[in-house]
Amino acid sequence: MSNAHVHAHGDDEHNPHLAHHFDTMHQQAGAAKLGMWLFLATEILMFSGLFLAYFITRMFYPEMVLEAHEYLSKTAGGINTLVLLTSSYTMALAVRSAQTSNTRGIQRYLLLTILCGCIFMVVKYFEYSEKFAHGMLPGKYYSAHLHGYEVEGLPHIFFAVYFMMTGLHGFHVLIGLAIMIWIYIRAGRGDFSATNYAAVENTGLYWHLVDLVWIFLFPLLYLVK
Amino acid sequence: MSKVYLNGQPVAHPHELHEHVSPISLYNKIIGLLFVLTALTYAVSFASLGPASLMVAMLVATVKAALVVAYFMHLKYDERYHLFVFLGTIIFVGIFFGFTMFDMDARSRLNDEQETFVRIKEMENAGNGLKVGVDNVPERAEAIRKEVAAHGGPQHGGGHDAAAGHGDAKAGHGGEQAPHTENKDAPVGGKH
Repeated sequence: MSNAHVHAHGDDEHNPHLAHHFDTMHQQAGAAKLGMWLFLATEILMFSGLFLAYFITRMFYPEMVLEAHEYLSKTAGGINTLVLLTSSYTMALAVRSAQTSNTRGIQRYLLLTILCGCIFMVVKYFEYSEKFAHGMLPGKYYSAHLHGYEVEGLPHIFFAVYFMMTGLHGFHVLIGLAIMIWIYIRAGRGDFSATNYAAVENTGLYWHLVDLVWIFLFPLLYLVK
Repeated sequence: MSKVYLNGQPVAHPHELHEHVSPISLYNKIIGLLFVLTALTYAVSFASLGPASLMVAMLVATVKAALVVAYFMHLKYDERYHLFVFLGTIIFVGIFFGFTMFDMDARSRLNDEQETFVRIKEMENAGNGLKVGVDNVPERAEAIRKEVAAHGGPQHGGGHDAAAGHGDAKAGHGGEQAPHTENKDAPVGGKH
């Protein structure tokens, strides 16, 4: 069987990135991409549980959520939204560079994306340290009443939801940064071309999903009245 | 054209993955639109639309998400099956949210019907402090009172001139809580 294969493979036969259990590069890329979409489905379902927790908290304690959310910085959230959208844009251009076999383009746009991800995390750091300093912490760690902040109701539940949602999202950003550094190194080795860019594209899909989650997080936590 | 095999037999018309390379101008347009929509959500958050503001914010976020999914994630040009996986996930999220909300709704109607909260109030009045929320947990309330006392003690507010503003803010909190917990602590302790 494998002998018959080798003769029929044509150009792909010489591609060192083709795993032996695939017939063509297209087939390999298609399998990788389907796997990525299935993974993204599980990611969406995981985040949806936290979104539901938010909606239920909001439904039960509307005044408390409105009062507590005033303590989140709209400016910091807004800057992070723009930064993350920009990073999605540069990531899309990195994938496009891979599609056109432009290795320097992949590296340039990946660096810009990594930079945006780092800016996002730095802004997040300042936001979190402010919350820590004011005792606005989740659950039993909540102690804002000792710092002169009075929020009626159960603000420790709101901050539990806030930290779980933004924390899990921030964790995804960190993982995304690590993957992009790896892809950057691989691009430097000349691994990617128009026939082999599934890894770049899947990294892009993951990064866009992180962006998608933030698109919903931002208005719900920071803006909505 | 290279060949694809299934169970050792060549496939006559293999399914080909076709890539679509979007022009850079398209990406520029999409990011421009995303920025405009972000500015819109930001502006709307300052207008007082009341309950409609949640709907407007979610609508704008959905449009933004659709743009990202369709163009940045290439779902518009991608295989239909990936779109199916994505939309299937959204449907399951809808089932998850929908059924939870049905339950919430049914529960609140049941509470009205059986006057659950009236009974809870009666039990509270009878001195059976219920473990619902922070203020109703005696140990937690006690811990909060101790913390507040350790931080300057709002109970005797007169003595702290330097931290007057700080102390006063907590005085209301401590003052509110003290009678609550005292009422509850005594009977609960008495029962054991």
